Amino acid sequence: MLRNRLITVLTFNDGTLFRTKLFEPDYRYTHNFVDSWSVDEIVMLDVTRDPSADKTAFYEVVTQFAKECFVPLAVGGGIRTLDDARRMMAVGGDKVVVNSGAVERPELITEIAEAYGSQCVVLSIDARKSETLDGGYEAFSHFATRATGKTPGEWAREGEALGAGEIMITSVERDGSLQGYDLELCRQVSDAVSLPVLGMAGAGNWKHFVEGVEKGGLSAVCTQNIYHFTETSIASAKKFMEKKGIPVRL
Amino acid sequence: MIGIVDYGLGNLTSVAGAVLKLGYEPVITCDADELARADKLILPGVGAFPDGMANLAERGLIDVLNDLVIKRRKPILGICLGFQLLGKSSEEFRDTPGLGWIDAAVTRLKPDDASLRVPHVGWNDLTQTRPDCILFDGIADGALFYFVHSYRMETPPDGAQVGSCDYGGPFTAAVQKGSVFGTQFHPEKSQQAGLTLLGNFLEKA
Repeated sequence: MLRNRLITVLTFNDGTLFRTKLFEPDYRYTHNFVDSWSVDEIVMLDVTRDPSADKTAFYEVVTQFAKECFVPLAVGGGIRTLDDARRMMAVGGDKVVVNSGAVERPELITEIAEAYGSQCVVLSIDARKSETLDGGYEAFSHFATRATGKTPGEWAREGEALGAGEIMITSVERDGSLQGYDLELCRQVSDAVSLPVLGMAGAGNWKHFVEGVEKGGLSAVCTQNIYHFTETSIASAKKFMEKKGIPVRL
Repeated sequence: MIGIVDYGLGNLTSVAGAVLKLGYEPVITCDADELARADKLILPGVGAFPDGMANLAERGLIDVLNDLVIKRRKPILGICLGFQLLGKSSEEFRDTPGLGWIDAAVTRLKPDDASLRVPHVGWNDLTQTRPDCILFDGIADGALFYFVHSYRMETPPDGAQVGSCDYGGPFTAAVQKGSVFGTQFHPEKSQQAGLTLLGNFLEKA
């Protein structure tokens, strides 16, 4: 039976690992560890704001990390062209994560999918609550500063048609909150597509993982901040999920 | 030296990293002489089947591989798309002939349970249909491996299947025929079980 995945997301600014709260960097908890032997997959995102910034430091971190990473590694941040994606693959990525680049130029998804296959393209969507759009959410790009005018479900469906292989949905309001995933948002996106959906932002305890799968329809639950606050291992999170009837890899 | 066939597709770096970790020297190349010097070959690849065959042909690698693998019996391990290319054809985008070393076609993954999403992404159990295959030495039946694919190989009629997996119906997850080996899953991304399997190929094939 296919297991639900637990994915660790690491965010970097100029090659330095940090956590985020409400999409702003917070460097208090950089003493992180990644238990790459029990996590199912790792996502590394370069969230350096300056689009012209030198990415060498990030590529170097990924290269070093990839050497000892024997689980799938998805890499992203600032990908605008097929060449950018190629570079991310060359430094050790197994998949790439696209967000603003795909909003600016949706055919970017198709270009990467044609070169590397759909399974290689993760479309990351940042969503905020909306009072005007149907469903109550709107997809945002550029570090959640720019409205797209689309609901996350619409953008996810469009991404699927363009060739994305997985959708990663992030709630801006829940980022760093530890209050649980925005289950309604996750459900809207997982209902909109037939692709696996990865949920992100808000996980604060093991129960949130179970809810994400059962109520949010997520194939994978992602965490960024939770390990900064607790010393509990990923393995214990998975044992909890298994006890609640969620198939996971122990 | 382990020759990792570079045909312009896929996560070659990850495969090379795992080979290096296991204590072997990986060389990523499409050069016929260098591939001929390699003790063993790995045909990795993520991407689409028609591109895969077109890229192999463009680099003149189809003849090179036929000579090295079929005539000279150099062991080869196909991974993911590289595994599918071992088959006789694929219906991905349009019917395209493969290398034809394994007598099975590649067809769209159609889970019989509508709630199962495609692509099939994640960790799933590998059933060893031929547990005596050297790839499985030291690996428990049902061990978990990482899969990511939308197409699957049908069951070869000649017993070349050594492992299967189930995702809304069974499909061929690993094959061996003489010195030709292949896995639909990614051993280089399947932690300890994956490294063990890859090590078995490098050491024992």
